[in-house]
Amino acid sequence: MNASNSFKSSVVVALDDIQLQTALDRGTTRAVNGRISAMGETSAAPELRAQARAARLRALNQLPELLDTLERNVTANGGAVLWARTGAEANDTILQICREHGVRRVTKGKSMVTEESGLNHVLEAHDIEINESDLGEYIIQLAHEPPSHIVFPMLHKTKEATAELLHEKLGMPMTDKPEDMTRFVRGVMRRKYIEADLGISGVNFAIAETGTIITVENEGNNRLSCSTPKIHIAVMGLEKVLATWHDWTTLAQLLPRSATGQRMTVYTNLMSGPKREHEPDGPEKFYLLILDNGRSDMLAGEFAESLACIRCGACLNVCPVYQNIGGHAYGWVYPGPIGSIVSPLLQGIQKAPSLPYASSLCGACQAACPVDIAIPDMLLKLRRDLVKVHDPASASLPWRIGMRAWRIGMRSPLLYRIGGKLAAVGTRLLARNGKITRLPGILGGWTKSRDFPAFPAESFRERLAQKKKRVESQSRESE
Amino acid sequence: MTAARTEILSKLRRALAAGTPFPQAETVDTSRPVVPINPDENLLARFCSEVERVRGIIHLADSTDAALAALRSVLHSNDVTRTMCWDAPHLPFDGVTNLLATQGIEIIAGTNEVVETAQAGITGCDWAIAATGTLVLSSGPGRSRMASLLPPIHVALMRSSQLIPRLEDWVASRYADRLQQIRTSSNITFITGSSRTSDIEMQPVFGVHGPLQIHIVILKDV
Repeated sequence: MNASNSFKSSVVVALDDIQLQTALDRGTTRAVNGRISAMGETSAAPELRAQARAARLRALNQLPELLDTLERNVTANGGAVLWARTGAEANDTILQICREHGVRRVTKGKSMVTEESGLNHVLEAHDIEINESDLGEYIIQLAHEPPSHIVFPMLHKTKEATAELLHEKLGMPMTDKPEDMTRFVRGVMRRKYIEADLGISGVNFAIAETGTIITVENEGNNRLSCSTPKIHIAVMGLEKVLATWHDWTTLAQLLPRSATGQRMTVYTNLMSGPKREHEPDGPEKFYLLILDNGRSDMLAGEFAESLACIRCGACLNVCPVYQNIGGHAYGWVYPGPIGSIVSPLLQGIQKAPSLPYASSLCGACQAACPVDIAIPDMLLKLRRDLVKVHDPASASLPWRIGMRAWRIGMRSPLLYRIGGKLAAVGTRLLARNGKITRLPGILGGWTKSRDFPAFPAESFRERLAQKKKRVESQSRESE
Repeated sequence: MTAARTEILSKLRRALAAGTPFPQAETVDTSRPVVPINPDENLLARFCSEVERVRGIIHLADSTDAALAALRSVLHSNDVTRTMCWDAPHLPFDGVTNLLATQGIEIIAGTNEVVETAQAGITGCDWAIAATGTLVLSSGPGRSRMASLLPPIHVALMRSSQLIPRLEDWVASRYADRLQQIRTSSNITFITGSSRTSDIEMQPVFGVHGPLQIHIVILKDV
């Protein structure tokens, strides 16, 4: 099965999954309302967005210098900076650190880049126990599922399904209360933090001028993963760096508002290297792993702006496509509108040829984006690139004949009018109540997952001509 | 490793060699705070209402004695006998260690296994941000970062003179001092309410991996 068919079949499955549809409906509605109210309460929202966008783009303008400064300052703080060109290289590096320090048990705070690299499988294959520590990430790890949202990893799961899973895997007494489930998992996770030799976290922002990494979270799992074990490895995509603390205060206002509708998350954690000599606790070793994995290629092209993304997930929540198919159908780490750009670019466009089409181009994503990324525009450009990759000569014969006929018809006003008339008559013959549920022959593919509307009896051009006539005769009368 | 570093940085430099991809971004000033706050607003009142909005519990005190009494009552009503506690010089008023000693409440420190048994963590804070109900805690000698994280109850002690209006004010006023502080402490944590999650159907649940409850005892000194 090729990548394009696999997307289509995932969508068909997703649309028929009642549990998924219920969970998506409940989840995305709450997220969208939360963001709108949090952004609405500041009268400075447009200016804040403009500043945030500038802060991110300015960082991209000077990426090599900033990473260099970041490295120098992390080192001055007593930490070590490691670099990885690919996900596999990142996994090897982490494995190497595990071997060096005899690490057996790892807790991990939420990190999308380690989803990119598939770190969990690699560590498990080497008999190292790794536990996701974010509540949602832990639950889907139990279910052997990937996250379906970059902020709310288990958005696809209802509370009923969650209770059943915890009951089955860990013997939790059945309940329908999220409070009880949360308290139960808290108890399970406690020992894991205490016993872990190594904590791994992601990075929301890295500030070059002091060599500090920042994580934002609500649960405290990330703070625990970065504080209780003797070693802390923070893994970041190389685009996460910011130049100054001024830039951070701007983005610190926007990320929680856009992601969860909060003014501040419960914890915003600034970490500058390992624990200092007389500090009572904190990790003794601190590593910052900077991952490229396709990003430097993106900086070179016309999609560089997508590197400004701060992974808030707002574009997922507002997207009518995401709202209906959920995250898993997208097939890779980053779903939703931004994922439809980032996934083809990071993996290679042949691996995700359907994603640039998984959008109605309605523009809700860009309107919601805190850094105003031109997502619809980039999706169109990706479609253009896909046409170049897929040689038109290799398309099927009916497709080629159809496109040829279309081209001839569109060039001649007469043929265009005749074609329109024929379609109007034809579609109205096939339609019931203005809708065609099954088109004939090779056109049937269109109606597999949606109806086709009948053409109206009068075309737009005909109505326009009549209206013109009416207006002219009226103005003659009034003269 | 150095090969990876060299290759990544040179690829980035090549990507930017043709010019600045986003020249328009260079003209926007991001050092100017934009989220408005009413200059006449009472910072203490705002702070308290923000904290309560995120399920924090406020205890206001007019004197040191009243503040110590509030602390004692929190510890008693939760049957606390073992605590993690910042060293006295880092707490905003005197008498805390004495109070714990006379009440027979132990201060414990050491390995994760040991401190995990603490029932409450007592800390001071550097600043408190009124607009969002946020505490700023920096790590340092005598200032455990686990005390505000591991025990099920966190009691933060502060004076009302530690209030600042907004997050931006923490950075924008005295920028150089701020950078120095960030470099000196391995960890600075901003805490807004008690730990929570919305992972299950996005319904907020309070008390996840961090403290289940946060109490803030404020000594009014302005």
